[in-house]
Amino acid sequence: MNRVHNTKIVLWLITGLAAAIALNRFVFGLGATTNLNDEVPWGFWIGFKLSWVALSAGGFVIGAIFYMMKREKFHSLVRIAILTAFLGYSSFVVSLIFDLGLPWNIWHMIIYWNPHSPLFEVGWCVMLYTTVLVLELLPVPLESTSRYAAVRKFLLKFRFPIVLLGIMLSTLHQSSLGTLFLIMPRRLFPLFYSHIIPIEFFISAIAGGLLMLAFETLALHWMYRRKLETDLVRLLCSLSVWILGLYFLVKIGDVVLEGKVGLLFEGSWRSYLYVGELLLSTVIPFVMFVVPKWCANRKVQWIGTSIGILGVVLNRIDIGGFAMRDATLWYTPSWMEVVLSIGILSTAALVFIFLIETFHVWDIQPRDPEALAHTPPLFDRVSGAWLGNPKTSALTRHTLAFVISFAIGMALISGKKLHAEGIENVTVRPASGIDTLCINGNRDSQYVEFPHQAHIGWMRNGKISSMTLDSIHYVLRTGADSCLVCHHLNLPGEKLSICWECHTSMYSEVDFFRHDWHASSSGANLKCDDCHTPGETRTAQTARKCTGCHPSYTFADTAGNGADAYFIPSYVDAMHKLCVSCHTIESRVLKDKPNLALCSTCHRTGTPPGLRAGMKWDVTLPRFDNVVLPTPVPGVK
Amino acid sequence: MSKAILTDVTKCIGCLKCVEACKEVNHLEADVPRVWDKNDGLSAENWTSIIQKPGDHYVRKQCRHCLEPACVSVCPVGALHKTEIGAVIYDSAKCMGCRYCMMACPFGIPRYDWDQTVPHVEKCILCYDRIKEGKQPACTESCPEHATIFGDRDALLKEAHKRIREHPGKYIDRVWGESEVGGTSVLYISDIDLDFLSYQTRPVDMPLPKETSPAMDAVPYAFFGMGGVMLGLSWIIKRRMKLSEEKSKKEDSTHE
Repeated sequence: MNRVHNTKIVLWLITGLAAAIALNRFVFGLGATTNLNDEVPWGFWIGFKLSWVALSAGGFVIGAIFYMMKREKFHSLVRIAILTAFLGYSSFVVSLIFDLGLPWNIWHMIIYWNPHSPLFEVGWCVMLYTTVLVLELLPVPLESTSRYAAVRKFLLKFRFPIVLLGIMLSTLHQSSLGTLFLIMPRRLFPLFYSHIIPIEFFISAIAGGLLMLAFETLALHWMYRRKLETDLVRLLCSLSVWILGLYFLVKIGDVVLEGKVGLLFEGSWRSYLYVGELLLSTVIPFVMFVVPKWCANRKVQWIGTSIGILGVVLNRIDIGGFAMRDATLWYTPSWMEVVLSIGILSTAALVFIFLIETFHVWDIQPRDPEALAHTPPLFDRVSGAWLGNPKTSALTRHTLAFVISFAIGMALISGKKLHAEGIENVTVRPASGIDTLCINGNRDSQYVEFPHQAHIGWMRNGKISSMTLDSIHYVLRTGADSCLVCHHLNLPGEKLSICWECHTSMYSEVDFFRHDWHASSSGANLKCDDCHTPGETRTAQTARKCTGCHPSYTFADTAGNGADAYFIPSYVDAMHKLCVSCHTIESRVLKDKPNLALCSTCHRTGTPPGLRAGMKWDVTLPRFDNVVLPTPVPGVK
Repeated sequence: MSKAILTDVTKCIGCLKCVEACKEVNHLEADVPRVWDKNDGLSAENWTSIIQKPGDHYVRKQCRHCLEPACVSVCPVGALHKTEIGAVIYDSAKCMGCRYCMMACPFGIPRYDWDQTVPHVEKCILCYDRIKEGKQPACTESCPEHATIFGDRDALLKEAHKRIREHPGKYIDRVWGESEVGGTSVLYISDIDLDFLSYQTRPVDMPLPKETSPAMDAVPYAFFGMGGVMLGLSWIIKRRMKLSEEKSKKEDSTHE
């Protein structure tokens, strides 16, 4: 089994999947791709990519150990470490392009300055440090050709100051990434928030960088089936023990000194998260590597480094989004968020493999056995016709892997539901047993009496004309439950009745059916045929009725049938119309009540008659209290 | 002169005129419920909202226009800006969409156009253009009960304290926005506790940017300090190696 080749295939598969999601991100926006929301605007992406930067710290740590402290043992790791750092930072920048809302403005940081912002500092450091890494790496590809020998020589001459600058810049931004969160003392759960986050980030980055290098060395040897002869991994692990110990002390010290010990045992899922993170990122790898005998064991090295890396990743993801306290909106990353992040890493891994196979980055230049295997195409012996290739080439297989998974990705991306279902449900206070409501809508000492039972009675015994009955579609269609959705028991602003779902505006006319929104992929994401019958002319009349999808919008169907008359009155007007329109009609139909439509017929001033004993008519009272409840009518619930 | 808004929660009747006026003046579209909406009524299309609290209290939520805004201090490109009249305004042309302002805001105000392919941060800008023209913000102008009023911050603070003094027992003796997070340009007086408007319990009086400034001030020291440490280390180690080399050479020569 060819491990190199299979690894590459897997990486190409993930890359293909991620490419489809990347497309989705740019065509449909962040909302369609991520589960981020107004409460948690930073999430998995930010946290995960912060950990990439931390795990790239090996670049500057090995630089310091090798160039500054002259530990020659680490020579074979230097190039690998710097390449890892370079790819880590590049992945960080690439993933920013997907995460930023307006990535084409990313260069604005160069011209618009805000030195107060930690992010500004991080941005500049990352820009400068990536440049430094390029300068550190450039001599490697230049080795293969003598044409640029002068450039190479020039770069090598300045190697020491370049490495020094790299270390200084890394110190800054590794810690400044923690500074980003200093401004959120009340947003982060107190266990995760600390005034020394920058220091914690710096220390954990050093530990993470060392563990990452150890893990990489193990993985490379496994992949290319090389025997690990040096004790470099052991050295790295035993070196990280010191840092892990220090990290643990700093973290526990902070918890104790800030008086947060109680929170550790709080039992909430965030406290478990913190304890778990502490175990993974410090305690477990520390214990595994602190015993010299264990530290030299290959299996322990594999497990310890993986756990340590996982711990650093978990720490960054927690602080980046999961440790939000009391979020009213739950955030779990969408599968697209996760796959896109991993896809960027896969691409980086592919670049890494390509570079170590092409240039002298590692102590040897490994070969992909599959890539070298060249088999000539088959030809028919007699006719000379091409019979095909006996083996598809590596390139073809990689391309196939990418294309197939890209296609699968495109198929998996269906329009994510972006609209919430209606509005929050609140129990409606029903009008049970009430005969006469005195409604003081404007709290201005005027009121309107609404004899409830009488209205129902008039309707039933035909005292109200059939003309009116048609116009009050609302009452008729909602039947006996009509009281439940009655405006008069809602306070303004309360979204209790379904009225609000269409009469979205309090005072102005609204377009209650938004065709663009229904058709838009970021809205209801419907296809034409979902509402319009195929083959027929697409008009409002032939379209599917509103109730087909919204069973509760019983009266919307009648409103929509007036061709393009989708404009409906404001909430206030609609509610007034409930009474006024009928009263207007009735005043014309009924000969004996010509004044029925006059405002003063219903609007009265003063204290309402029939006020129950003990009740006060106080205009300063909140409105619901001003709905007077006289004697209940027997037999009515 | 720093301008401000004073909202008297006891006077608000929850009629939503301010929300309506805000929508009209700022050309905001009708709101559609979205999965990313927080349940406080604010959204990319609603820069102000009314929150109803039990017992028929209506609390208007909007950007607080802090005197030392966290959002302004964290924006890496300076797209947010505190103007001299008090409004915190947003320049969409500079913004790169990092959403750090949303993370930093202690009141959770800024909203995002999650559904747009060219998304921007959306929040109240205190009708900055209207104030410059000498008018008052749309919300305060439209309020039928004068529950939310506009004026100079100092005068409004005086007015707030005056109302609390003149109606003992009616209000909680506290002006929200007077001092928390360094003071805000949107003030509240109320008969119910308004700490739900910010994250968690009562915000401390220290402006949030002050939380970051010690770390930011340490930046040059960390930078050059680390450089110095590394240079010193490498010098010492180099010298030691040189010395031991010379020593071994000497030993070699004596052996011979």
